[in-house]
Amino acid sequence: MNDNKNNVTLEEYENEFSYKKSKTNLNIEFNRIAFIFFIFLAISIIYSIQLLHLGSLKIKNETKALIAKKSYRADIMDRNGNYLVKTVSSIDIGINPVDVIDKKKLLINLKLIFPNKDYVKISRKLEKKKYFYLEKKISVDDYEKIMMLGDKSIKSEEKLTRIYPQKNLFSHIIGQIDDDNNGISGIEKSFDKELKEIKKPLKLTVDTDIQFLIREELIKFQPIFQNIGSTAILMDVNNGEILSMVSLPDFNLNKRKTISDLNYINRATKGVYELGSVFKTFTIAAGLDAGLIKPETKFLNLEKKLICGKNTITEYDNKILSDLTVEEILIKSGNIGSVKIGQMLEIDGLKSFLEKIGVLYKIDFDIEEVGQPIPFRWGKCKLATVSFGHGITTTPLQLAKAYGIITNGGLKINPTLIKNKKEKNKKRLIKKDTSKAINLILRKIVEEGTAKLANVNGYEVGGKTGTANKSIKGGYSKKKINTFSSIFPTSNPKFVLVVLMEETQISPDYIYEYRDGSEFKLKGSPRNTAAWTSVEVASKIIEKIGPILATKYIEN
Amino acid sequence: MKKVIFAIIFILILTTSLVKNSTKEIEDKIFMVNENIRPLKSELGDVLLEYNYLSSPDKLTQYQSQYFEKELVKIDIMKIKKLTKKNNYIKLSDFIDKTIDE
Repeated sequence: MNDNKNNVTLEEYENEFSYKKSKTNLNIEFNRIAFIFFIFLAISIIYSIQLLHLGSLKIKNETKALIAKKSYRADIMDRNGNYLVKTVSSIDIGINPVDVIDKKKLLINLKLIFPNKDYVKISRKLEKKKYFYLEKKISVDDYEKIMMLGDKSIKSEEKLTRIYPQKNLFSHIIGQIDDDNNGISGIEKSFDKELKEIKKPLKLTVDTDIQFLIREELIKFQPIFQNIGSTAILMDVNNGEILSMVSLPDFNLNKRKTISDLNYINRATKGVYELGSVFKTFTIAAGLDAGLIKPETKFLNLEKKLICGKNTITEYDNKILSDLTVEEILIKSGNIGSVKIGQMLEIDGLKSFLEKIGVLYKIDFDIEEVGQPIPFRWGKCKLATVSFGHGITTTPLQLAKAYGIITNGGLKINPTLIKNKKEKNKKRLIKKDTSKAINLILRKIVEEGTAKLANVNGYEVGGKTGTANKSIKGGYSKKKINTFSSIFPTSNPKFVLVVLMEETQISPDYIYEYRDGSEFKLKGSPRNTAAWTSVEVASKIIEKIGPILATKYIEN
Repeated sequence: MKKVIFAIIFILILTTSLVKNSTKEIEDKIFMVNENIRPLKSELGDVLLEYNYLSSPDKLTQYQSQYFEKELVKIDIMKIKKLTKKNNYIKLSDFIDKTIDE
């Protein structure tokens, strides 16, 4: 029993010793851990706050990048790598009058940087307590100077601006953009999506120097022939690349004006005209291609007048002989002879040929401003008038395309403004022999026909003139549309140049220099026809651009 | 045999890590170069724009009339000559064959 009591004492001792001590120790350990945990928690909270802050900053940066991305637009270059359009970042400087501390000091400092500003006006604006722009598109030097002032009220805003270094030169080709960075005309509109996505500049087929020289000639002749507008297209006949496309009047793209005047349309692509005798080339080419005629085929006893319904078809020149070969019909621009060939072809023959060379319907082009040739119903009289280019309309661009196909050996081409566009195997549309025969006749028109003024030495120019009265509602006006469609060199055509002048007048003072080697000069235009207007302009253009084309683009 | 396999594996691991390391270094260098090119590209673009504007045909004709008395003349294509190098001598010929137009 005593033994048992001893045991109890031992148990009591154990209880007292270990339980109490260990309990105290345990409390101290728990507090330490809690303290460390609390420290870690505090650090992690601070860190999380910092992370959240950084996160919000990132979102802000992303918004900025998004804005930059939204206003991003790729640059546009010509075929030689010259900028036609460039997006540059510019800085606008604004002032928030609420933040101005010392108005006098600020005005003095600003006067040192911008001495030519009207500071009475600026002072008034400062009093109004409304945010205003002090200077837009500021230079880097001025920006640095103004930021050195360290004035809180001066705010800078970075903006992306589209710069057009060539001003008016490519206005119709490039087109305009709106304030929301969306293209509204020209390449800017048709390539809107690509320009917003691509990183490299968009390369066009145009040549700045050639475009300038052609535009200069058109402008020079505007007061001479008093035309309301004009257009010229220079295209490579072998691949359809457009080296120049000018339409006057044009506009300065940097001014960003809204153009509502119809006279500013792109005459080259949007203008739909009745072009007259330039269509005779198509009638004869169709006849040759169908094997119905040969250049030497003779038409005897051609009438001087043909009556078809209400229309009377006559020759523009009564001196034209009654017996003509096919070649002579085109050289002398005979209406009746062309009608006869058209009648031989019949409606289907001529219609399918015109469809093939792409003059009848709307063209698929790189810019959206494209005119729709006026549709008409074919009939016997229509066939007769279409044969010599009346009662049928098309755009100058389609005319250039058609002449390109006929003279390049008969291969299909599509006019393009975009460089390095991959072309599939070219489809043959007309026979090579037809093309050769037409080229020879076109050369003869310049040598001995209606386009003698275009016989510029060294270029073997060939072409066809077209004089038409401007069509108005219900008939024709006395106003003229004078066109010259030329190709050169005729032995192996490389380029087609179409010059169209709208509403030309006779020039009483202009001096023509004959190109037949006689050095004969003639003062004043004898007639208001293409032969005395657009042919002269085209010859001056070829004379100027010829050396560039020959040395830069033609491999000898 | 086992030793050889281990040695090969060890060498492979070592070379892989070395190659990976050097690749990373090259990648860093490429990144640095690209980052340095970026502002230069933008500067080049601005300079080219300035050059294109100042040497545009419009500006050049303006300078010509402003600073020179003589008018610009058209080049007669018949007067352009062609230089062709054949073996060790240079041949001078007409750019356009004069017989074509005569």
